[in-house]
Amino acid sequence: MKRKIISCILIIIFIAAVAYVLLSKRGVDDTDVLIQSSQRDSNKYTATVIDLFDTKTDIIGYTDSEEQFNKDADQVVSDLQYYNRIYDIYNDYDGINNVKTINDNAGDKPVTVDKELIDMIKFGKEMYYETDGRINIAMGAVLSIWHEYREAGLDNPAKAKLPTKEELQEANQHTNIEDIIIDEENCTVFLKDGKMSLDVGGIAKGYAVQKAVDKAKKHGISNILLNVGGNISCIGARADGTNFMVAIQNPDLESDELYADSFGIEDGTCVVSSGDYQRFYEVDGKRYCHIINPDTLFPSEEFAQISIVTKDSAFADAYSTALFNMTLEEGKEFISNHDGVEAMWVKPDGTKVYSDGFDNLVDTDN
Amino acid sequence: MKKNDVILIASLLIICAISLLAIKLWQKQSTTDKSYVRVEVDGKVYGTYPLNEERTEKIQFENGSYNVLVIKDGKADITEASCPDQICVRHMPIHYSDESIVCLPNKLTVTVVGGQENEIDATTN
Repeated sequence: MKRKIISCILIIIFIAAVAYVLLSKRGVDDTDVLIQSSQRDSNKYTATVIDLFDTKTDIIGYTDSEEQFNKDADQVVSDLQYYNRIYDIYNDYDGINNVKTINDNAGDKPVTVDKELIDMIKFGKEMYYETDGRINIAMGAVLSIWHEYREAGLDNPAKAKLPTKEELQEANQHTNIEDIIIDEENCTVFLKDGKMSLDVGGIAKGYAVQKAVDKAKKHGISNILLNVGGNISCIGARADGTNFMVAIQNPDLESDELYADSFGIEDGTCVVSSGDYQRFYEVDGKRYCHIINPDTLFPSEEFAQISIVTKDSAFADAYSTALFNMTLEEGKEFISNHDGVEAMWVKPDGTKVYSDGFDNLVDTDN
Repeated sequence: MKKNDVILIASLLIICAISLLAIKLWQKQSTTDKSYVRVEVDGKVYGTYPLNEERTEKIQFENGSYNVLVIKDGKADITEASCPDQICVRHMPIHYSDESIVCLPNKLTVTVVGGQENEIDATTN
C-alpha cells in the first residue's frame, strides 16, 4: 500500500514536471508576445483617410498619448490635403489654381500658381531628362485617352475596347516636355501647345509625401509612418526603437502568399511599388494596366511589379514608374548609376530580381 | 509495474493533454472573441461585426451601389461590390488589428478593431 502511494506521488510529480516544462515554455512565449503587444497597444495609433490622392492613406504613429497622435496625424493630413488640391488634375477647388487649371488654360494663357506646384513640375521635368523620357508629365493627352477607355471598360466590361494606335499617335504629337513654360519670377506655368496637358500621376503623390514628411520633421514629429496608397515613408522608428516593418504586396493577388517580401526600414527610408495588378482593365481577357510606356504608347508588360527603396519618396515614386517602362537590363544599369537607390523587380511569372545593394538598404534581421 | 499503474499513468497523461489543449483553445478563443470589424460609410459608423461569427452582410446604398462583407474563419473580406474598379474585392481578407479594406467609389471602410497585432506596419500596393 505504502509503495503504491509513493509511486502514485512520484507519477504525479513527474507529470506535473513535464506539464510545467511544456506550459512554462509556451507560457514564456505567450507572455512575451502579450507584453510586446500591450506595450505597443498602449502607444501605437493608426489613422486612415480616404479622401487623398484617390487612394487610402494610413498614418501609423507611436506616441505617448492619443491626443499627441491625433495632433501629429492632423498636421500630416492637412499638409497632404494641400498638395492633393494643388496637384489635382481632375477637380477644381475654390480659390486654388492647380494642375487642372494649368491644363484648362493650355495654349491660352499662363496660370499663376503656388511655388510648391512650380517645384513639383520642375521636378517632373528633371525626372524626364534623368530617365531619358521614360516618365513624362507632359503625356496627359495620351494618358487621358487610356483613362477614358479604361473607365468605360470598367463600367461596361463586355464592351471594353482598346484605343487605336492612330488616335494615340495623334495625341502623342502634343507631349513635348519643352512646351511647359515655367516663369519662376512671376510664379506662372503655361502650356504652349493648346492640345497638351499635364498628368502628374506618376510623381505627384511621392513628391507630396516627401514634402509632408519634411514638414512633419520640422514640426518635431517622429516615430511615424505614412502609407499613402503604397507610398511608404517613415520618420524615426517604433517606440521600442526597432525599425518599422514594411511588406511588399505580392502582385499575384490570387496567391496565398500575401507578401512578395518584407523587411525593416531605417529612419527616412521610403518604399514605393508600381504594378499592373491594382489599376487595370481587361479587353478580351487580357489585362491592360495604367502605366503607359511613352515609347510604345501602350501599357508596359515586362513586369508585374517594381519596388524602389531609397531615402526620398519623390524619387522613389518617379523611378518606380520609369523603371516599369525600361527593360530589366536598362533598369539595372539605371539603379547601379544611382547611389542609395535599390530596386526589386517581379516578372509576370513571379520571378524576383533584386538590385545588388538591396540588402544593404533594408533590415532583414527581423 | 502493474496493470493498474499503467492505467493510472495513461489516464493522468490524457487528463494533462486535454487540459493543455483546453487552455490553449481558451486563450485563442479569448483573443478572437474580442476582435470585430467596424464598417464605416463616408466616415460614419454603419455597423460592427464580431470576427468570430460567420456572416454575410450586404451593405446597400441608396443609389443602388453595394458591397458584400463576408466574415469567415476569423477574417473579414469584401467578396462582391458594385464599384467599377473592384479594388476592394481584390483585397486580401483582413484580421490583424487596424487592417482595413477600402472601397473609394462607395466611401466604405472595413477596419479590424482589437485583433491580433501585425508584425508588418505597412504594405505597398
